[in-house]
Amino acid sequence: MIQVKNLTVRYPNMKTEALADVSLSLEKDDFVCVLGKSGAGKSTFIRCLNGLQKPTGGEIHFDGQDISFHNEEQLRKVRRQTGMIFQHFSLIPRLSVMQNVLTGMFGYRSSFKNLIGWFTAEELALAKKVIEDVGLSEMAYRKVEHLSGGQKQRVGIARALAQQPKILLGDEPVASLDPGTSNHIFTLLTEMHERLNLLTIINVHDIELAKRYATRILALKDGKLIFDGPPEKFSDSQYRETYTSEPQTAYFDAGI
Amino acid sequence: MWFKKSNFITVLIVLVLIYFSMRITEFDLTKFKDFRNMIDFLAQWWPMDFSKLPGMLEDTFETLAMAFLGSVFGLLIALPISFLAARNTAPSKALFQFTRVTLSFVRSIPEIVFGLILLTTLGLGPFPAVIAIMFHNIGVFGKLVSELIEAADPGPQEAMRAVGAKNWLANLFSILPQIWPNVLSQFFYRFEVAIRTSLILGFIGGGGIGQRLFNDFKTFQYSSVSLDVLIIMIMVIAIDFLASTIRNRVI
Repeated sequence: MIQVKNLTVRYPNMKTEALADVSLSLEKDDFVCVLGKSGAGKSTFIRCLNGLQKPTGGEIHFDGQDISFHNEEQLRKVRRQTGMIFQHFSLIPRLSVMQNVLTGMFGYRSSFKNLIGWFTAEELALAKKVIEDVGLSEMAYRKVEHLSGGQKQRVGIARALAQQPKILLGDEPVASLDPGTSNHIFTLLTEMHERLNLLTIINVHDIELAKRYATRILALKDGKLIFDGPPEKFSDSQYRETYTSEPQTAYFDAGI
Repeated sequence: MWFKKSNFITVLIVLVLIYFSMRITEFDLTKFKDFRNMIDFLAQWWPMDFSKLPGMLEDTFETLAMAFLGSVFGLLIALPISFLAARNTAPSKALFQFTRVTLSFVRSIPEIVFGLILLTTLGLGPFPAVIAIMFHNIGVFGKLVSELIEAADPGPQEAMRAVGAKNWLANLFSILPQIWPNVLSQFFYRFEVAIRTSLILGFIGGGGIGQRLFNDFKTFQYSSVSLDVLIIMIMVIAIDFLASTIRNRVI
């Protein structure tokens, strides 16, 4: 599905690389959680996969096509097949749940139809269905700013599903939610992953969530991939290595 | 404890500025010793003369129409330009700079100057006044709205790009709903300002209640002047009230 070869990203005016020589291959049945400290390159990695971030080196093959040299118009065609959810939900305020979900289809439709808001019966039915899938049918016509954090993220997921994506990316989608709500969101993501056979790649801080839901864990440190494998192989010492830069401290030894 | 040396210097500078400004403007409160003259003058304003009320109301609506058209057209033209004049949505750096400079140039020309120029080419009446107000408002709205665009939350913009929407459409959909209430309140504020401006433009022949006020004043019809002033006050208060009602409904 996705092959990443020697992916490197260096931001201007930065001494070190945000991503350094990352190579891996992701398949449809993967539910991937990416672990790493803030600044380890998780966000950069996720953003490279749908072309929001241009790599400075290496290749990304999406369905066999190298997208690293795509222009904006070609990237648009990649992005519309790639759903993405965000830490702060990034919904459009003042629009309803339904309207927000419909914007998920923008990549496939003409600008004119998008502008005047003309949708076919099938498109409206699809929007209704994905809203039902995330359990928000009763709130479909409510403005998104009146929803709770968990409900907002469900709208974010519904918007992504409205793209009928092949891949779902998540940049810290539960980092501003409480633990119970985070679990609900992850259950929903797992359900969608299994039902739609959707390659899912999620950045997350919480090791417990990653171990419970992921089928594969990636750990990044200082832009380098230091672990790639199933959750049960990700040991405590590897966890410590991921999250510390100093010699191991009592704090880390005590808890996990 | 609370004051630093620099505070005293600031106060000193302000005091010096006040002193010189008073010298330049011949500011002198003792001139009010002839206050009785003003009372005598204002006494001539009474009683109000209602005989010309229908014509006055007609002129009032003309003023309202001038102000409304000038600000609505100003906003409509400025909206798309604002996206070119905002750092985060401009298609290129050169276009951004060019639009910015053009907008501030347009903004630097007062309505009255536009009015004086246009009146000579378009003749007397409200039409040149509308164009004058519109031009200045394009400059003002262009600046205000582009600043709102720059301050908009970038999250939704990124989300719209991630969905695969075309860039301009992504910007439009992610930014406009966010800034709309602020745009609307700026509009009502500029509408109020436009009413006052159209009064001044009336003085130079731009029509409306302003021109009538000026004519009545110049022909010593003070009992009509008082009614003109009253109508203007009621109009401004009514617009203010209407504006806050509409704004509360939108937000």
